[in-house]
This record gives sequence, structure tokens and C-alpha cells, in this order.
Amino acid sequence: MSDLVPLPVVIPLLGAAITLMLTRFPQAQRVVSLTALSAVLGVAIALLAVVSERGPLVVSVGGWPIPLGIVLVADQFAALMLVVSAAVTLCVLVYSIGQGLADGSEDTPISIYHPSYLVLTAGVTTAFLSGDLFNLYVGFEILLVASYVLITVGATEDRVRAGTTYVVVSLLSSLLFLTGVGLVYAAAGTLNMAQLAGRLDALPDGLRLMLNCMLLLAFGIKAAVFPLSAWLPDSYPTALAPVTAVFAGLLTKVGIYAIIRVETLLFPGGPTPDLLLVLALLTMLVGILGAIAQSDVKRMLSFNLVSHIGYLLFGIGLATDRGLSAAIFYAVHHIAILTTLFLVVGLVERFAGSTSLDRLGGLARLSPLLAILFFVPAMNLAGIPPFSGFLGKLGLIQAGVADGGALPLALVAGGLATSLLTLYALARVWNMAFWRPPTIAPEPAGEPRLPWLMVGSTVALVVAGLALTVLAGPLFDVTVNAADDLLDRAPYVDAVRDAGAR
Amino acid sequence: MLVLVVVHGLTAVAAPVLVRWLGRQALYLCSLAPFAALGWGLAQTGRVDQGGAVTETYRWVDRLGLQIDLRLVTISWLMVLLVGGVGGLVLVYSVRYFPAGQDGLGRYAGVFVAFAGAMFGLVVSDNLLLLYVFWELTTVFSYLLIAQDPTRRSSRRSAMQALLVTTLGGLAMLGGFVLLGESAGTYRWSQIAEQPPSGPHLAAALTLVLLGALSKSAIFPFSFWLPAAMAAPTPVSAYLHAAAMVKAGVFLVALLGATVGGDQPWRPLLLTTGLITMLLGGWAALRQHDLKLLLAYGTVSQLGFLVAVFGGGTANSALAGAALLLAHALFKSTLFLVVGIIDVSTGTRDLRELTGLARRTPVLAVVAGLAAASMAGLPPFAGFVGKEAAFAAFLHGTGTADLVVLTVIAIGSTLTVAYTLRFLSGAFADKPGVPEVALREPATDWLVGPAILAVAGLGVGAAAAPLDTVLTPYSDTFPAVGSAYHLAVWHGFSGPLGLSVLVLLAGYALYRVGAPSGARLPFDGAAAYRRVMSGVDRLAVELTGATQRGSLPSYLGVILLVLVAGLGGILIGAVPWPENARAWDTSLQPVVGAGIVVAAVTAVRALRRLTAMILVGVSGYGVAVLFVLHGAPDLALTQFLVETATIAMMVLVLRRLPEKFSERPIRTSRVGRIALGVAVGVVAAAMTYVAVGGREAVPLSDAFPGEAVSFGGGKNIVNVILVDIRAWDTMGEISVLVVAATGVASLIFRRSAALARRRGVPVPADQPVTPGWLSAGAGGQSVILEVVTRLVFHTIVLFSIFLLFSGHNAPGGGFAGGLVAGLALAIRYLAGGPDELTAAAPVDAGWVLGAGLFVSVGTGVLAMFAGAQVLQSAVVDVHLPVLGEVHLVTSIFFDIGVYLVVVGLILDILRSLGAEIDRQGVPAP
Repeated sequence: MSDLVPLPVVIPLLGAAITLMLTRFPQAQRVVSLTALSAVLGVAIALLAVVSERGPLVVSVGGWPIPLGIVLVADQFAALMLVVSAAVTLCVLVYSIGQGLADGSEDTPISIYHPSYLVLTAGVTTAFLSGDLFNLYVGFEILLVASYVLITVGATEDRVRAGTTYVVVSLLSSLLFLTGVGLVYAAAGTLNMAQLAGRLDALPDGLRLMLNCMLLLAFGIKAAVFPLSAWLPDSYPTALAPVTAVFAGLLTKVGIYAIIRVETLLFPGGPTPDLLLVLALLTMLVGILGAIAQSDVKRMLSFNLVSHIGYLLFGIGLATDRGLSAAIFYAVHHIAILTTLFLVVGLVERFAGSTSLDRLGGLARLSPLLAILFFVPAMNLAGIPPFSGFLGKLGLIQAGVADGGALPLALVAGGLATSLLTLYALARVWNMAFWRPPTIAPEPAGEPRLPWLMVGSTVALVVAGLALTVLAGPLFDVTVNAADDLLDRAPYVDAVRDAGAR
Repeated sequence: MLVLVVVHGLTAVAAPVLVRWLGRQALYLCSLAPFAALGWGLAQTGRVDQGGAVTETYRWVDRLGLQIDLRLVTISWLMVLLVGGVGGLVLVYSVRYFPAGQDGLGRYAGVFVAFAGAMFGLVVSDNLLLLYVFWELTTVFSYLLIAQDPTRRSSRRSAMQALLVTTLGGLAMLGGFVLLGESAGTYRWSQIAEQPPSGPHLAAALTLVLLGALSKSAIFPFSFWLPAAMAAPTPVSAYLHAAAMVKAGVFLVALLGATVGGDQPWRPLLLTTGLITMLLGGWAALRQHDLKLLLAYGTVSQLGFLVAVFGGGTANSALAGAALLLAHALFKSTLFLVVGIIDVSTGTRDLRELTGLARRTPVLAVVAGLAAASMAGLPPFAGFVGKEAAFAAFLHGTGTADLVVLTVIAIGSTLTVAYTLRFLSGAFADKPGVPEVALREPATDWLVGPAILAVAGLGVGAAAAPLDTVLTPYSDTFPAVGSAYHLAVWHGFSGPLGLSVLVLLAGYALYRVGAPSGARLPFDGAAAYRRVMSGVDRLAVELTGATQRGSLPSYLGVILLVLVAGLGGILIGAVPWPENARAWDTSLQPVVGAGIVVAAVTAVRALRRLTAMILVGVSGYGVAVLFVLHGAPDLALTQFLVETATIAMMVLVLRRLPEKFSERPIRTSRVGRIALGVAVGVVAAAMTYVAVGGREAVPLSDAFPGEAVSFGGGKNIVNVILVDIRAWDTMGEISVLVVAATGVASLIFRRSAALARRRGVPVPADQPVTPGWLSAGAGGQSVILEVVTRLVFHTIVLFSIFLLFSGHNAPGGGFAGGLVAGLALAIRYLAGGPDELTAAAPVDAGWVLGAGLFVSVGTGVLAMFAGAQVLQSAVVDVHLPVLGEVHLVTSIFFDIGVYLVVVGLILDILRSLGAEIDRQGVPAP
């Protein structure tokens, strides 16, 4: 069974290698990519099933004795994130294939897109599976470098300019992360996270806090936590629609994943949770006000993304099983919904030729399908019941109220306010882009057609979002178990230790 | 009950299709869903009229306490009848209201039925969270219904306003529910009610819940959204804004009041806001010219009345509230429907333009008259029965507060009588001097709905006694104060009756006098809403302008400031400083360190790009020297090679850039930047000092030398680490290299067609090439250099392969080997240009990269197939004929992949940054 563990990394890397060798055969590239990501999804689901049944799976790469080599650890949390990310990346791949087929490959050099995309996936899965702090860094590095390539695909002037912001900020975050890893190794003499859990406990409080904050700073940039978030809305919206979609959905959540690991496994019980709560409040409010100030749908969604990172931090900062499980649920929801919305906006851009609210209008009449595809996930994002966004938020609010402290209650209030403002921002888009009569006469150049692969993959994601709602009961069972394991630490640490004893 | 919700849902989904097939007749089909709810409700009468309950429970999200708990009790039974009955009749009415082929009718039908379903779900929810789910759904559906004609700006604005105001209240209510549920440990209202809630947050929870209820029911100060929502089609107003949605808040008050009616601040809050609303709404209604707006303000007033009566919190007031609730839904929806008919038939709703309608449409006038009589509280209509009960409830109350309430209710009812008369005369009376507007005689079947509702109002009044029997189990859940009151048309000559007569007379007088035209309301909620919204917008713009500067340096600055402030603060305040630290191991270290610092500082100050880059390289070499001093020659070798290759590649890039850096930052910001840079350096150094000094455990790497030989089968620890112990990292890092190379190609070639040149296709002869700075092979190339490089090329490549294979035990390895081979290619390119490069490596760089990655990752996978862990290596000692004993570690195959990737990387960069930039032409320096 533990043979499953490395597969989510290895399969996309092999796929990337093969697609690189097949640059002249786009058809074959598509087949390889689709096969690879479908396989990853299958493996991820199997992993989740196995891990939920038997507890964490641990693999020591190369058969080295633990903690000498690198360990891969798949616990419920990691497996759940794997499933979601695999499903999302697969859908986005289908969407981008649809787009590539429709546009011809001239504007979007698909031969480069496929390997980069697969490596990106491998980076994400590496980060999720890694049981080694430096390897976590490597995972970040893989996904970041791949994202540098993807964000500038096509190399238009806008993309290169936005890409510059993105790359430089990301490099700084990597540098800080690497510094943090170095400091941790210097202080604790190991990189194995299970072993670190014990060794870091033994360090003086001040030193622990320093290491903790250093890592949080690095991940905070990636997760777009205010005040480290300003780079995101400036860089994401310019990329190709599927690229923006997968970045918005996944990449910030990898940062969140790392924050959760750091806070639960490496440095539990410090003063950082309160810090996270304060940052959560700021991130929520500053982010959502930013969204209100936008006149472009993609930018609006990007600010929304930042704002809702605050919800995730809220759950993490509570440091209770209810808070953490709600945060994990919300992360799952947010990955699916933000990806969906960016894909829908990609369709809108294709249909109407713009994403600017100054130019859009009358879409509800022109394309009822687009209207439904936008409205359902938009309401979901705004936390309108019965959708998953509401359920996640409800979990967070309950956890905050159950905690009962002044700061958590302030966050409950802030979260509710953010929810209202999110609704305002999205209803504004709906009013202007979908309801208002078109301000500009539709271009006469024929009916704009939406490729069925793009529509189909978007529909699939919308349906997946609804499935999160219907299946919220079992899903919450998983996230609560995952959160319990995370807070307990013992399942993770023991699994790694037992694997070493074998 | 869940079945009925699902039926509504399915009907809603099917509605657009049905409308497309059948046209507006499809609305008849759609009305079956709400009628089904009505029928079901009637069938349950026998189970609730004795105080019983019908319950259903389904699991949904256990962990959140969010279950589908449905429960039909008396008050919800009443609401079910209203929601189903009025909903069905309004849908039937809509068939005639909308012209055939009306745009968006399918959407209307779907959303309308969905709304009816949500409303049904709301009133039968026993779980507070589930109630909130339906509550918000009604909000969203009403948002969609209000803007049935979204092309009008006012429709869109009103829809948004209703959405935001009711959601604001809804979210507050959710907060209140969670406070209640968390302290009670359950979200099932029937369970919470068994053990009345208490605790420190109870007052806050109730206030929040009431915020939701009051905003939904358009109670002061939230009243303003309801008149604005009259932008909706009239059937929508008749249903949502008379019978159903605005009653949700009243319903909630009615449901919860039995349990928490005695807790602060429930009663005072409801009485105050309710009575204010009753007066303000009634007063405003008197001043309207638009019939529909008149009704809207009348509704606001009546909602205030209802809330105040339920807020009374006694058995008698609850009974009165329930009766009024029923009466109001019946007469108000009738009147709205009548206004819709007038509007469509005459094209106006302005009571100054309408005249003589009583003559011209007598049936309509009779229907309206029946409903208006109920509204004004004439016996024996339902309105009268309810109002009598309300008067009685407060008249026989105990405190002075009750008397105040009674007075205000009487004044409010006077206003009601006055605006009822204004409505009737405005709509139907003959007005001398007003020209008759054209009238299309309304079809008879159109009147069916309003007529049924109006007659029902009469019937309810007549059937007050049975109604009393049915409703008493509900009112009995409230504390009884005074003797029990019973609904009836005739109680004999009593106080309430006298009050009723007084009210009617005063109302008539007020109608005759008319409202003074100049009187304005002291508080305009709509203006406050606008101020708040524009305030939010302005705050959003200003805050975003301040935080989102759009400048990369400022973003980096913020991040570094956080580093300095946060970690600097921890360093100063919290960290234990090590006491006995060694400054350095050898005296060379500080010298080299100083050199690195000097090179770095000079690099920052350099004006020319090339200078800066070389200085960065120098500091990199300095790091390599430090590695040597630490006894890591292998690492140093790699560092040297990397620095060299980087400089070579960067030089290729620099050709495209101006020679000098562009405008330097002005002096003041420069000082800030220098200070920040120094601070970051100091903090980073201090953190390192502290971290190293704080170590207590033995580092892991102490075990590496022994394990590398015994388990990894190699003597070169660095190499064993790279290809075995931490091969997983290396696998990741080579994929980074692969992607980086791909990315460079993507940026330089940009288009798929151009990507073909990545394979090294010779430049067509007819394409002129502008020789640029450092343009390899163009112009003054040296034949001698070209020949020499061809001669040494193979030697260097051979050496690189040697490095690759010897790496496991001696300095070298795939990475170093690949770099050496890559440098060999670079020399060929620099000496002979792109063609020479193609001759040296006639392969697609992307293919080499892919092959390298494939070999490395494939090695790892093969180990799995062999039954070992991924990337596990095996030591094989074989005897080969010529070579003799060969000690082979399978990780060598992994290293071959690394080698290929590195070669591919350099080849790719030479093709893109070198040859392609040559081709594209280089701007003159």
C-alpha cells in the first residue's frame, strides 16, 4: 500500500518527461497529460481511502533508515488535499486543452504548457507528501519555478510585467523559506519533521518563536496573508485563464498547508495563533475592501481570494479541532470554487471579449448558461447557504463562538462582515456584467462560441462544488479526523517512527 | 415535508423548459407545487390542531449540528397554508399578468417556485441552522425576482438593496443562532425550547436574531428596502412583500417568542421598533400617490403592528398576532393583485390619474372592497377579528407599558383606516375633472385569484370560532396573562369594540383632512443606506490605494520590513543569546567573508550591469572558497562551475539590456533602502548566530559518512547525498532545472512556430542577421579558436563523462559532469556560432531535458517495480570481460539523468538566449 505514496509525484514527473520528448506531437502530449493526471487522481482517492482506514502511510525514499533519508508521509490531511488538487488540476487541464484546441497553439505554446503544468502538479503533490522540511522547500521550488513559466506563457507585455512582480516576490519568499530551513537545521540538527516535532519542543521558547515566525513569514507570502499579499492581485489576473484558475485555487493553499503543518506539527502551543487571528482579521477585511474597489472581474476575484485566506487563518489560529477542521473544509471548498470562478471568467472573457465591468453587460440574456455557471459558484463563494462556502464559514463561526475569547468573537464578527461584503462585491459583478443592458453593441463578427471542452470542464467543477455541499457530512468527518490527528501529533510522529523501526 | 421541498426544487428546475414548451400556460403546472404544499398542510390540520407536531429528520452535516430537522406545529401550519395557497394563486394570476411571450418568463416561473419551496422549508424547519439556510435562499430568490426587468437601473439597485439589507440581518441572525446553539449544545429549536437558554451571551444572541427578523420584515430602521422593492412585478410583491417573505421575520418572532419572550431585550426591542414602524409606515402610506407604494408603506406599517403584537409575549397577544398574520396575508396580497390588474389594464398606478374604475370594473372594485374592509378592520372580516384581539390583549394587560402600546396601536390603526380609504377612493372613485384613462377590461379568470383571497378574508372572519380552536394550542405556549381571550366577531359591547369604532371614525376624519403635504419623516433609511454604501466604496478605494501600490519595490519593502520588525523584535526581546561562541575556525574565514561582503556591497553600488554581475559572481566564488575551508571540495567544485556557467549565461542576457542601470532611486528613498538592506542583513546574521548557538541535539549529518559507504555504496558523501540519501530532493531539483530551461525557451521563442528553432534548425540564408554585441560567430570570429575548440571539445566531453562515473567515490558526479559538458558546448557556440552549436549537438534541447528527467525518475520507479522503495539503489558487483570487476551502484543511472538534464539546460539556454537572440537582432549598446 505504501507504494502508492510516491506515485502522485512520480507520475506527473514522468508525464512531464514524456511530453517534453513529444513536443512535436501535440495529440500524444494531450493523451499523456490526461492519463497522468487521471492516474494521480485515482491514486489520490485510493490513498485517502487507505489512510482513512489505517492511519498515515510512511515511505522512506531509497529505503534509507529514518530519519537519515527523506520520508514521505500521507496522512488524512495530505491525502485529502491531494484528492482535491488532483481533481482540480485535471479539470483545468481539460479546460486548457479545450482552449488550446480552439485557439490553435499559436498564442499558447502548448508544447511548453504541458510539461510545465505537469511539473507544477508534481510540485504541489511533493509539498503535500513531504515529511521533510527541506523537501517541502523543494516542493515549493518545483511548483514556483513551474508557475513562473506558466504565468508568462505567451509572453505578452502585461504578462511579463506581472510575471516580474510574481517571480521576484516568490524568489524572496523562497529565500526566506530557505533561510528558515537553514536556521531550523542549525538549531535542531534534523530536517525530518516528525523528529523535529520532538527536538523543537526542547528548544528555548524564544528560539522556537523565532524559527516559527521565520517559516510563517515565508509561507505567509505564498499564502497571501496581509500585509504580504499585495503581489497577488497584481500578478495572477494577467495570466491565461486556466493558469490563473489553478494558481488561485491551489498555490495559495499550498502555503496554507505548510502553515498548518508548521503550526500543528512543529510549533504547537506558542503565541503565534493569536498573531494569526489578528492577521486573519486584517486579511479578510483589507482583502474584501480591495475586491469592492475593483472594476475588473479577475482582479476582483483575486482580492476575494486574498480575503478568504483570512477565513483559513481564522480556523488555524483558533488551534482547536473544530477550528482546524473547518479551516480544512474551507480550504477544500475554496480550491474548488475559486478555480471554477476563474474558469467561468475565462469563458466570459472569451464570450464577451473582456473582463472589465466597464465593458461587460447583458450576459444573463446573451448566455443563460454562462449566467448559471457564474451565479452558482458566486453565491457559493459569498457563503450563501446551502452551499459549501456557507458550511465552511458556519464551522468557523461555531468554532469561534465555542472558543468564546474576545479575539475569536471579533473574528466571528469580522467573518460575517466579510461575508456580506463578498456578497456585495459579487452582486455588483452580477448587476453590472449580467443584468445591465450591454453598454457596447455586441460585436457583429458572428456568434462567439464556447468550446465544449471548456464548458464541460467548468460544468464539472461547478457540479463538484455542489457535491461538496451534498457530501459535506462525510467530508466533515474526514476533516475532523484530519484535524484531530494534526493537533494530536502522535499519529504522524508515531507513524514515522514505526516506519523507521521496520 | 422534505419531499415537498424537493418537489418545489424539481419544478423550479423544470419551469424554464415547461415555459419554453407551453408558453405562459406552464405557470398553471408550476402552481401545482405550492398547491401541493397547501393540500398537504390542510391534510395535517388534524395532527396539529390539538397541539401536536409532525416531524421528520434526515442527516446532513452531523459535525455542525446542521441536520434536516423538519417540524410542523400550529404556527408553521398556518404559514404553510399561506405560503402554499397564496403562492399557488399568485402563480395562476401571473398567467394573465404577463403578456404572452414575455421575456424571462421561464426564469420568473423557476425562481418563483424555488422561492415558494424555500419559504415552505423555512417555516417547517426545526433546526435553526436549516432555518437560516432557507432564510438566505428566500433572500437570494427575492433578489432575482425583484429585478425581473434587470435593464432598469432602479430594479437592479432595489434588488441589490434588498439583498444586502436582508443579508446583513441574516448574517447577524446566524451569529445569534450560533451563540444560542453553542450554549445549548443543539441547534434543534424544539430541544432548545425545552430547556430555555441562558448564559452570558443570551442578550447578545437575541439581539442578533432580532436584527435578522426585523430586517427581513422591513421593520424600522430597515423599512426602506421594502418600498424600493416595489420595482418587482406586482405578483412578486403580492407574494413576497405581502404574504410570504416579509412574514418570515414575523414568523421567527412568533416561533421563538414563546420561549424567549421574557428575556431581555426581546419584548422592549420588538415593541419599540414595531410601534415606530407602524406609525411611520402608516404616515408614509397616507402621502403616496402610487397605489403600489401606498400598499407597500401600508405593509410596512402592518408588519410593525404584527411584530409589536407578537412582541407583547402573552398568550392573548400571540393569539391576536396569529389571527392578524393570517388576515394581513389575505387582504394585502389581494390588494396587490388588484393593483397589478389596474396597472396592466390602464397603464398607470397613480391615484391622481385613475377615475371611475368602480363603475367600469365593478367586479374588481368589489374584490378590492372586500379586502380593504378587512384591512380597515370592519366587522366581520378577518382584519377586524385580529385587531379586536390585539386591542383586547393590551387593554387587559397589566402595566402602563401596555397602555402606551394600546394607544400607539390605536393611532396606527387610525392611519390604516385613513390610507385604506385613500386607496379605495384613489383607485376606484369618480374624480371630477380627471380624464378617464383607457381601460382594457380584465379577463374574468384573471380575477379568480384575488377573489378567492378576498372571500377567504371574509370567511376567516366568519369562522373565527374554529380558527380560535386551531390557534389556541399555539398561543398556549406563551405565558397567560389575564383571562384567556377567544377569537370571535362579536364579543358584546366591550372596550375593544368601542376602540374599533373610535378608530374607524378617527380614520375617516383623518382621510378627509388628509396628510399635510410638507411633513417629512425624521429619519430616512434609504439615505442612510446610500451613505453607508458610498462610505464603504470610498473606504475600499482609499484603503486599496494605500495598500496596493502596484510597485514591486514597495511590496518587497513591506515583506522585508515585516522581517526586520517581527524577527528583529523577537531577537531583541525573547531569544536567549549564546554565551560562548567561536568567532571562526580558521583565520582565513573572516578574510574571505569580508571579501564576499565587499563584493556584494560594490555590486549594489555598480552602475554598469556587467560590473554588478561579475561582482555577484565574485561573492559566489567567495562562498565556494568558504566551502573549501570547511573541507567540502566537492561542493566547492559545483559552486565554482555554477557561478561560471551563470556568468556565461547572464552575459548572453545582458546583450539585450542597456549597459547601465536605469535611473537610480532618489537620495531619500535610497537612504531608506540602504537602512532596510543593512537591517535585514543584521537580522539574518543574528538569527543564524542564535540558531547555531541554540543547538542541543546531534545533527543528523554526523551519521552520513558511515551510512553513505555501508548503505549507499559510495565514498563521496556529497554525491551519495545527492543521488541516494536525498535523491528525492534531487529529482525535484532537476525537474526545476527542466522547467526553468523550458521557461527560458518559452519567453524567448514565445510562439509555437518559433519553438522549432529550439531544435537547432539553421537560420535561412536569406534572413539577414544583424550582428550584435557579443553575437557569437558573427563577424570577427576566429578560425583558430574554432578549430581548437573542435579539437578539445571531445576531450572535455569525455572528461565530463569521467566526472559523471567517478562521482560516487571521488569528486564529480552527474551535476558537475553535466556542467562541464555544457561549458564545452558553450565554448563551441561562442567560437563558431549557432551552426557550430547545432553541429556539436544536433538534438532538440527539450528532448534532452525530457530524456534526462525520464531516466532519473524512471530509475526511481524501476526500484519500485523491483520491490524496493522508490529511488532505492542496489549495489551490483559484476565481472565484465574487458573491464574486470565492476562495482556498480544503480544510483548511477539516476546520475546519468541528472547529467542529461544539466546538458540539456545549457544547450537550451545557448539556443534561446544565444542563437535566438542573435537571430532576433540585438539592439546596439
